[in-house]
Amino acid sequence: MCDKNEREAEISASRKNNKSADDGVAEDRVRVGYIDSVYCGSGVDGAGLRCVVFFAGCNLRCPFCHNPETLFQKGKAVLAEELVQKLRRYKPYFRRGGVTLSGGEPFLQKEFCLALARLLREENIRVAFETNGHVCDPALIAAGELICDVKNQETDDLSVYERFFAECVRQGKLPRVTNVLVPGKNDREEKLRALARLVRQYFPRGNIRFLPFVKLCEDKYAALGRPFPYADVRECEKEDVLRAEQIVNEVFSQKI
Amino acid sequence: MQRAFKSGRYSETIDVRDFIQTNYTPYEGDGAFLAPPTERTKRLMEKVNALLKAETDKGGVLDVDTEHVSSLLTYPAGYIDRENELIVGLQTDAPLKRGVNPFGGIRMARQACEAYGYKLSELVETEVSYKTTHNDAVFHVYTDEMKAVRHAGLLTGLPDAYGRGRIIGDYRRVALYGVDKLIEEKRKDKCERGELPMDEQNIRILEELYKQIDFLQKLKEMALLYGIDISAPARNAREAIQWTYFAYLAAIKEQNGAAMSLGRVSTFFDIYIERDLADGVLTESEAQELIDDFVIKCRVTRQLRTPEYNEMFGGDPTWTTESIGGMGTDGRTLVTKTSYRILHTLYNLGAAPEPNLTVLWSEALPEPFKKYCAKVSVDTDSIQYENDDLMRPVYGDDYGIACCVSAMKIGKQMQFFGARCNLAKLLLLTLNGGRDEKSGLQIAPEGKRFTGKLDYEEVRAAYSKYMAWLCRLYVRTLNVIHYMHDKYAYEKIQMALHDTDVERFLACGVAGLSVVTDSLSAIKYAEVTPVYGENGLIGGFERKGDFPKYGNDDDRVDTIAAELVKEFSEELKKTPAYRGAKHTLSVLTITSNVAYGKKTGATPDGRAAGEPFAPGANPMHERDTSGALASLNSVAKLSYDCCRDGISNTFSIVPSALGESEEDRAENLADMLDGYFAQGAHHLNVNVFDRSKLIAAMEHPELYPSVTIRVSGYAVNFHKLSKAHQLEVIKRTYHGRM
Repeated sequence: MCDKNEREAEISASRKNNKSADDGVAEDRVRVGYIDSVYCGSGVDGAGLRCVVFFAGCNLRCPFCHNPETLFQKGKAVLAEELVQKLRRYKPYFRRGGVTLSGGEPFLQKEFCLALARLLREENIRVAFETNGHVCDPALIAAGELICDVKNQETDDLSVYERFFAECVRQGKLPRVTNVLVPGKNDREEKLRALARLVRQYFPRGNIRFLPFVKLCEDKYAALGRPFPYADVRECEKEDVLRAEQIVNEVFSQKI
Repeated sequence: MQRAFKSGRYSETIDVRDFIQTNYTPYEGDGAFLAPPTERTKRLMEKVNALLKAETDKGGVLDVDTEHVSSLLTYPAGYIDRENELIVGLQTDAPLKRGVNPFGGIRMARQACEAYGYKLSELVETEVSYKTTHNDAVFHVYTDEMKAVRHAGLLTGLPDAYGRGRIIGDYRRVALYGVDKLIEEKRKDKCERGELPMDEQNIRILEELYKQIDFLQKLKEMALLYGIDISAPARNAREAIQWTYFAYLAAIKEQNGAAMSLGRVSTFFDIYIERDLADGVLTESEAQELIDDFVIKCRVTRQLRTPEYNEMFGGDPTWTTESIGGMGTDGRTLVTKTSYRILHTLYNLGAAPEPNLTVLWSEALPEPFKKYCAKVSVDTDSIQYENDDLMRPVYGDDYGIACCVSAMKIGKQMQFFGARCNLAKLLLLTLNGGRDEKSGLQIAPEGKRFTGKLDYEEVRAAYSKYMAWLCRLYVRTLNVIHYMHDKYAYEKIQMALHDTDVERFLACGVAGLSVVTDSLSAIKYAEVTPVYGENGLIGGFERKGDFPKYGNDDDRVDTIAAELVKEFSEELKKTPAYRGAKHTLSVLTITSNVAYGKKTGATPDGRAAGEPFAPGANPMHERDTSGALASLNSVAKLSYDCCRDGISNTFSIVPSALGESEEDRAENLADMLDGYFAQGAHHLNVNVFDRSKLIAAMEHPELYPSVTIRVSGYAVNFHKLSKAHQLEVIKRTYHGRM
């Protein structure tokens, strides 16, 4: 396995060599990003089959985070071109699917995200971003399909999403809104209604997809030597999701 | 007045394909027309389920007829429920009662009886004692070297003590032409050959033709036991199915081959069904009922096996493989309504492993059919997929799959089944200088014993040398086996349903591909040092550093696998095969990956001694961690050109990772199959479930009697697997999304 420092030196050398090319595509190709891993073969991260790139680094520290390995480690440095070359091998599977940039928070690496999106588009591969909605950047929002996960487990203040959704509306984009349903944290009726009202306000024809809180990530926290903050919270059951969906549907079906 | 079929070349010569092409009706719609089971079917199925339960309760074998030698006319007519059956015929006089077939070898027959508390009758013992069995004859000729590699488990599962199987008779010929016409044609062939020079080859063919004609006559008599005359062509759908089934039944009465596959009957049946529907003499419900009844017969097919056999091929499989769908060479789809009807039996009768329903997948298949198949997979885990776009250019559009992944033109090609060699064990043999790592016996030519840090190039070169040695020995061993099988256990009825001039394959195989690939990768990219035991043999390996693993779409290691099979295939071809057969190669283990693992010491990849291999061409358990598609991409790199007998991949994905809704799961699975096969991959067994379901089924088999899973080219009832096989299945990778 390649030594990390060596790898970074190699990459920066290769960037220098290519810098002379003034073409934007060449610039995109040598853009460096930090990722945790690539997982090829998910049916639940956007339409169709997806390859998911997990970015390293996040601006939030959600106590239920399913990918803690992306929070506390710098990740591997990769060239956009290198990554795209890997991802293009999955084109035969992308009849309806494509690539999802997730994390961590992909929007923290703006230039890398944009470079990837452009290069993938050139390959005719659809791109989706899975974001926490805290980075409201018009260029990023314009760059692909959007999955926005609303974090309301520890707060009632959802103003940050108002900005993000407003920009989506301005651009005519309909993000897929998700929410990790955590029993005892964000499954109270008034909280669910507030969330539903927020989403409906911007996207009257949208909806909310609930992701049941599960503790499969416990091993990851153990491996990182960190406590899992929600270790004592119970897992979300199917009935919890059905109940939440019912409440949200009620809000969406009310006349404005 | 019944409509006549369109005539064609098939009217002049035996040519079932031409009949299909001239008369079938492609279907591009969805499954909305399908009918539920009738009351009659439900009643019959209740009886069958009770019998199946009784069989399980009795330890896997309901009854054995120890008084007779199984053949076409041995037993009187047998029924499940005489008044209620639409398609009749059983292997013995009662359902699930197993007959004895001693021609593969009397010892196996004797042991099989004893294993289930029966004793082979004196009558059968005496009758067989005057005859040479296939097994006797093979051992009369085997050299010491052949016996040694067989004993060590370097070559295993060889068909030298049981019927070789993997031959598909064109059972449809009986329905299309009637037996008399088939006899007439074979007589003509015999007359023509009577004029050729009387050399050994021609005399053998003449004797075989005599046997074929004799058994065609017996086939007619067998049907007459049920009061049915099959000398003339079938006149309607029910007769077409019945005639075809009788032909298949004759084959499984005569032979106990490992895989006794059905061929490609559904679209053929559809022609008769369509005509009867158009003539108003059959309803959709009645058409489905016929298919349901036929499938019930396929589900109660049984052979008597020994415990050792079950260790290799777990779950009591018969590989009654039916190939469904595909495209015609003219661009029309071969999907018909009966392609749907036969898949629909999995709903009407419940999920089940047999018949081994195999969808010939093409990108050009009608979209509704793709979706329907994917939905059936998600719901039942009972079907497998093979790449029609890859096979059609090689075999045309009337081929079938024998066993799991072996393609052949129906009635025109056959194969000599050759089981497989253990590639991982061959690596240990190489490192030990030609000695068996378990017994220490020098079974191969003496070579260098590797000590200290292993050098990849040096190991790889030595491995090539031993591979060349083994390939030569392997082909020579198979030549002995198949010469003797032809001589002492010739498949009379199945070969009567082939053209007289038949093309033959010598189907060799490899096991442990992912183990040896990862081992070589470890030697190449990490530091591996053998650790010798006191007996002077390598007992394990020390490894420093990580290495790329097969199953993650990483070319550094995947090319090792691709090169290995290419080299093996080329080496095989250097030794001529019996009867001019063409050498082919499969990467398929069936469930023998467990037995092979048991016989193989610790390997450089970190696999412990005795630990099971991954099945077929699968990446090793839990080492394909980059996602389902990455795992598929690695396997897709193995070239079908050098593995013409098939590349088996058994794949499990958890439902929650495949898609959010049922609709999404089916569509995503269809996309996955399109993507995988577009890359030239050959085969995929699909399972969609959680590991927890299997653990529950293992702990409480009584609560999960019909949990069906795809293991390696076939499906089994999970509860019928041995504990070792169950544990291995549970250890496999279940692609999720973490």
